[in-house]
Amino acid sequence: MISVADLLIDKQLPGNYFAVDTYVRGDLEMGLIENRQGDRLIALPETLIQAIYAGLEKETGQASRLVLFNCGRWWGKNFYARFREQLTDYYRLSPADMAMVEFLQALQQCWIAHGWGKIDLDHTHQQRGFLVVKICNSPFARLAPQNQQTSCHLEAGILSAFFSQLTGRDLHCLQTTCESMGADCNRFVLGLQKRLEPAEGMAAIADHDSIMQQLCQ
Amino acid sequence: MHPQIEEIFDDAGSRYLKIEELRLVAQYASSVPDRLATYRSLRDCELDVMQWVADQLQAEMPQEPEATLERSITNALLMLRHCGLTMLLNQDSIVKERFLNWVQPTVEVYNTQAIDARLYQLLNQRLDEALGKQMILLSPILLMAQNALLPQKVESVNGVAIGW
Repeated sequence: MISVADLLIDKQLPGNYFAVDTYVRGDLEMGLIENRQGDRLIALPETLIQAIYAGLEKETGQASRLVLFNCGRWWGKNFYARFREQLTDYYRLSPADMAMVEFLQALQQCWIAHGWGKIDLDHTHQQRGFLVVKICNSPFARLAPQNQQTSCHLEAGILSAFFSQLTGRDLHCLQTTCESMGADCNRFVLGLQKRLEPAEGMAAIADHDSIMQQLCQ
Repeated sequence: MHPQIEEIFDDAGSRYLKIEELRLVAQYASSVPDRLATYRSLRDCELDVMQWVADQLQAEMPQEPEATLERSITNALLMLRHCGLTMLLNQDSIVKERFLNWVQPTVEVYNTQAIDARLYQLLNQRLDEALGKQMILLSPILLMAQNALLPQKVESVNGVAIGW
């Protein structure tokens, strides 16, 4: 028989930890924003994001993509550690022990709460060793220089580190479509670096499906 | 607090509230004792109501795995608590942003709508018996949440016309 009392943990029931109205808190007098755990959050003004792109381009030229990717890797590593800690504390489950749908729900809500857009996973090519991540309404793409190249190198780095930590495999991340190039969303392919190499640089000349076809050959 | 009432207070420092604004505040203030009483009743009867629902559900659906029924019951508990808070504060965004955004995708993925529909029918029936007239405040919010989660609309809180 089902015991309803046993379904509760200390009379509590975990809900949406990352609900925006409860997750982000501010103290205007102190000029601080923090999450519900009390960790400091940083607000990135649009001007700062644009200045980072422009400054890096001026200072490092072509290397700015690598710099942003590596910054993303660092950010993603710490982001995963915090995300894991928050899930474990609140839901009493580590991400590895959560059902996929619940893990994805938490990640999506977390992404929205941080103002990074809407993230979704596409498992179509999982059997071939690739995971596709879609992000819509990304501020990093919206504020990037509009040209014929993908521009979400920071997010690619974050995703690479995040999913490497999650899976315990060293995964690389390649962006195949970009909102800054007029695409409907930003698509990223995660996989082993060696297997992603054939598609390096293809985003400027081929669409997502063609790139996936090339990778899965 | 209801966003409309919050907005009223935004300007209240520099001028006195208008008659219609005061009426809105008075309306909410006068409903607070009832809201509190309903919230307390809901809290106190929650376990008994849900245990009865769980027992009925399990008896009617012995073919369903226990884990599936437990998931639906857990979601219903979460719904009840969020609806209770929404009713207490008169703020619909609580149930929408904290509950529906969270639970809706899992209901679709696990495809538990048939179980949930029967569960809501039993839940509404039992709540009606337990809370009586206090359901007036709770039922609109409960129906809104249940309708958002089911493909076919829940038409009545007394559980007569739930489609499943």
